[in-house]
Amino acid sequence: MVEPVSNESLLLNLRGVTKRFAAITALDHVDFGLRRGEIHALLGENGAGKSTLIKVLGGIHVPEAGTIEIEGRPARIRSVADADRRGIRIIHQELSLAGNLSVAENLYLGREPSRFGWLRRGKMDRDARALIAALGLEELRSVGATVSGLSVAHQQLVEIARALSTRAKILVLDEPTSALSDTETESLFATLRRLRDQGVGIIYISHRLEEILRLADRITVLRDGRAIGTQDTSAVNQRELVRWMVGRDIVDHFHRPAARAGDVALEVCDLWGPKTFGASLSVRYGEVLGLAGLVGSGRTELARLLFGIDRIQRGRIAVDGRPVRIAGPRHALDAGIVLVPEDRKREGLVMIQSVAFNLALPWVREWMTACVPNWRRRREIVGRAIRDFGIRASDPEQCVGNLSGGNQQKVLVGRWTEHRPKILILDEPTRGVDVGAREEMFAILGSLVAAGVAVVLISSDLAEVLAMSHRVALVRDGRILRTALAEEITLESILAELTGAHHDESR
Amino acid sequence: MRVGKRLLPLLAAVAILQVLFRFGLPGVWAGIPRFWDFENQLDIAQQISVNAILAFGMTLTILIGGIDLSVGAVVALVGTTTVYVLGLGGVEAQSTWHLLLAVAAGLGVAALFGAFNGLCAATTRMPPFIITLATMWVARGAALRFNEGRPMHVPEQQTLFLALGNGRVAGTVPIPVVVMGVLFVLTAVLLHRTRFGQHLYAMGGNREAARYTGIPLVRREVAVYVLCSLLTGVAGMIHASQLYSAEPASGVGFELNAIAAAVVGGTSFTGGIGTMGGTLLGAIIIGILDKGLNQAGVHYSFQYMVKGLVILAAVYLDVRRQSKRA
Repeated sequence: MVEPVSNESLLLNLRGVTKRFAAITALDHVDFGLRRGEIHALLGENGAGKSTLIKVLGGIHVPEAGTIEIEGRPARIRSVADADRRGIRIIHQELSLAGNLSVAENLYLGREPSRFGWLRRGKMDRDARALIAALGLEELRSVGATVSGLSVAHQQLVEIARALSTRAKILVLDEPTSALSDTETESLFATLRRLRDQGVGIIYISHRLEEILRLADRITVLRDGRAIGTQDTSAVNQRELVRWMVGRDIVDHFHRPAARAGDVALEVCDLWGPKTFGASLSVRYGEVLGLAGLVGSGRTELARLLFGIDRIQRGRIAVDGRPVRIAGPRHALDAGIVLVPEDRKREGLVMIQSVAFNLALPWVREWMTACVPNWRRRREIVGRAIRDFGIRASDPEQCVGNLSGGNQQKVLVGRWTEHRPKILILDEPTRGVDVGAREEMFAILGSLVAAGVAVVLISSDLAEVLAMSHRVALVRDGRILRTALAEEITLESILAELTGAHHDESR
Repeated sequence: MRVGKRLLPLLAAVAILQVLFRFGLPGVWAGIPRFWDFENQLDIAQQISVNAILAFGMTLTILIGGIDLSVGAVVALVGTTTVYVLGLGGVEAQSTWHLLLAVAAGLGVAALFGAFNGLCAATTRMPPFIITLATMWVARGAALRFNEGRPMHVPEQQTLFLALGNGRVAGTVPIPVVVMGVLFVLTAVLLHRTRFGQHLYAMGGNREAARYTGIPLVRREVAVYVLCSLLTGVAGMIHASQLYSAEPASGVGFELNAIAAAVVGGTSFTGGIGTMGGTLLGAIIIGILDKGLNQAGVHYSFQYMVKGLVILAAVYLDVRRQSKRA
């Protein structure tokens, strides 16, 4: 399916690149061509070989077979320094900035302007300002600002500025928008398009199909380590892409669970907290309430408040019509409220422990009475969760850190099903999860709703919130603007509300 | 600038302590009238010099996310090594060359420990806390090998070596204070005005980021631990000189005092945050506290408690200030 393009016009040309790890073939004779001045999306499920391919480009992995040509000339990339010399810049998923340093210091990390080892701080700041102006990243106003104080989006811009501070021919971005809000994503896209027009070849990796369809000029799909094909973006639609990626038809990966709303499960009245200013909402059993808002609008803070992590300053919470006092997660759990947090690594799972350990963790009181562990009871709990949720682990004792993002998410949700929660709050359940796992995640969500669980769904993917929820609460600045039936609103109609008039100049 | 702002609370603390010990609390305690005497202040400077020099090195290690617990034991080992070499060849053979040889031996042993600590920390996955806990015992044991663990006197002919701890420049400023000042300037310039220093901040802030930008982590880390040990070596010689003898059992707990000075001075234990000026002020604060409480006649049991609580309070305030900024 690769179109015949003459080699000379290709900035980067991979032919038959193969990389094996022990028994696994991560890349199997992959052909990939990148033109000058194009945005080329690399698409594939987790484990399809995208990150291996990037690491080959970045000199972190050396392939066993195949050739790499840059501007028509064969290139050997055997180290990070090799890749750097050839103008390949990679922005990894995890930001690699030093938060304790300033913007300028981060831009020149490792190659600080100096004279005989003496740091030239003034020159560094001047160069940084000039660079930011040249790249048109005016958002980064102060080069002296400490990076840890910047928003994630601005930190992302610092990464990009650093990648481009020396002459870059090829820019690779791995899931750059997973932590960005919609407006921030737009400004990133504008920057990328400008760079493309300046002749930079951009390889863009994302799970978000809609995003790729909007941004990319061409798309290459990887599946099981093989390049399935390359297409012009204009020639494909979303459904074809999904089928291409997964290798089977996923008819509609947004299928809203059937509404069977029962009694009111959770009622919140005029709730005030550190970043919540008078929020009121209610959820019924068997209903999904979506919290739609931009990153930083206070959705996560509201969830933390409901789960007793942050202190409630004022307001009433009632479960089943009876008022409850929530002064800590224990109270919330006793009331039947469960939170699946946003940051799996930090707030959700004990990464260095096994699947079984993580699944059994909330139920220690059940399988350990008077300090004597009841291993059979623990096996029951763990086994049921693994079965019910289709957690793909080779062994319950496998380390949870080695699972894919989707499976980690299943462990996180699955641990709460031993005693079904009344109210389940999901914060960004599909972040960093591929299409297949996302589909499964929503199937699980559907079965929970069918069983009568009241669900509060938080996601930065507004389309997802609209499609999955029965009712949607619009959140901005720690307040709930209004609640509406999902059928009655569209993405376009709420975006202006969520952004707020005062944000208009940045859009 | 940014650095200066961080030092203001520490300067304020120094001023408050100075005023408190001089004038006391109205109606409760009259203070110490001679606290502001020039001699008394010099005395404080003299007493903090060893700890401050150790704290300069400690700051470097903490800044890159490490720690060096071996400094107290290395103080003892450097002292015994140096004085042992000084005593070689009998009383007749004392010469300047002999002194240089002894100093080289002392610093050499220190550098050896530093290089070992640094290499282990940089190339193995052992945490620096454990590595230097282990080398602390090794260094202590090595120090006790000399003279069956008994103190060794510095030969009286070695006036130059004895002057290191007890002499005065122009009859006023104690030499240890001068050494402290010189080493402060050198380490502060190294940390704040060179690429090397910038790399240490990067390593402490985000080690992976530092790796991906091509900063030679192993070389930098070894250099930091060697520098820390060399500073420890200088402190060890001053200490031996002040005692007129090398005592294999001395220096116990010195590492903890050095850590205290660094953290009171605003060095973050997670790495990446801290300044040399802050550490110097931290050492000064602890020094004033020690001296003042002593001269006020506070029982030493209470001195320990006050010191502990002051360290806790200082770090609490610093942590709170930082969380507010973020």
